[in-house]
Amino acid sequence: MTTKNYSRLELASNQLEAAIGLFVSGGDRFSVITLAGAADVILSRLILNKGKENFTDAILKAEKKQKTREELGREVNDMFFINQLKHMDPGDDGYIDLEPEECAIGAILKALANYITLAEQRKSFVDVFLTWVKLNLDPNIYNVNCDPNWVPSRQGK
Amino acid sequence: MPIFHKREVVRLQLQTAVEIFLKKLNYSAVITLAGACSGILGPLVARAGKENFDEYARRLYGELSGQIPKRPSYSKHITQILGIIAHKHLSGDDTDLIELDLEKLACDALIRAMVDYSKLYGDSEPFAIAFFGWVWANVDGAKVMKDYLSTPKRIRPK
Repeated sequence: MTTKNYSRLELASNQLEAAIGLFVSGGDRFSVITLAGAADVILSRLILNKGKENFTDAILKAEKKQKTREELGREVNDMFFINQLKHMDPGDDGYIDLEPEECAIGAILKALANYITLAEQRKSFVDVFLTWVKLNLDPNIYNVNCDPNWVPSRQGK
Repeated sequence: MPIFHKREVVRLQLQTAVEIFLKKLNYSAVITLAGACSGILGPLVARAGKENFDEYARRLYGELSGQIPKRPSYSKHITQILGIIAHKHLSGDDTDLIELDLEKLACDALIRAMVDYSKLYGDSEPFAIAFFGWVWANVDGAKVMKDYLSTPKRIRPK
């Protein structure tokens, strides 16, 4: 066991890599959501520290939402049940209804967008996940080729 | 939409954390998963009328120092020293680099979560047997047990 210095980006990158590795190998989806969610908090802040816009800022701008970054960030996290998978509040009955697969994909995509904005060297796990996206997601619903001008051609089921 | 209970969420995350730990794949992932499980297990153990890990640590600190710290701040202190906060938060004034022993922290964070899990659900599932077996062999279980037996009953876990 050894004490070492780690950059915040390394800690986030470790977790995102684990989330993607678990996801593509069919591992537990709850763990994927928790890991991607934790990585994303660090990545989002690192982007702000560099004076750039993070994923939440981009949504705010694109959709002209009348919300603060914090409010929208919380909404997105709630949509993926990130806090529900690590907290048990007083009065909580312990039951959650979610689609683990969809939440896991969403949580990874959000963290990955922030990671790509930030990382100077793209690690192989990024390509692994983007390849998985191309092979497995519906191109009518998801922007599988990462085209900045893409619009969905139909709504999901 | 499928419905899950947090017991199942915890079991799957803990099982994943133990597997990643024993295979030495990614200690950062273990720390975060164990921290998430403790966030659910701690309150569940307390609801069951039992003493959770953080509460025991708080009582022990009180017995040894004569001052019992406040519950929320002591739990936060534990998540801080286990590196859990460093893996899920970053504030504007945090340093770029942080010094950590990831393997040690992963082991300690897992022990905290597994102790609470076993209080509620026992220790007979394969991942629990594998983890506690690893701890016994690698953290000098025999010495820890000897120390435990020589500890006054009032400062043992309830």
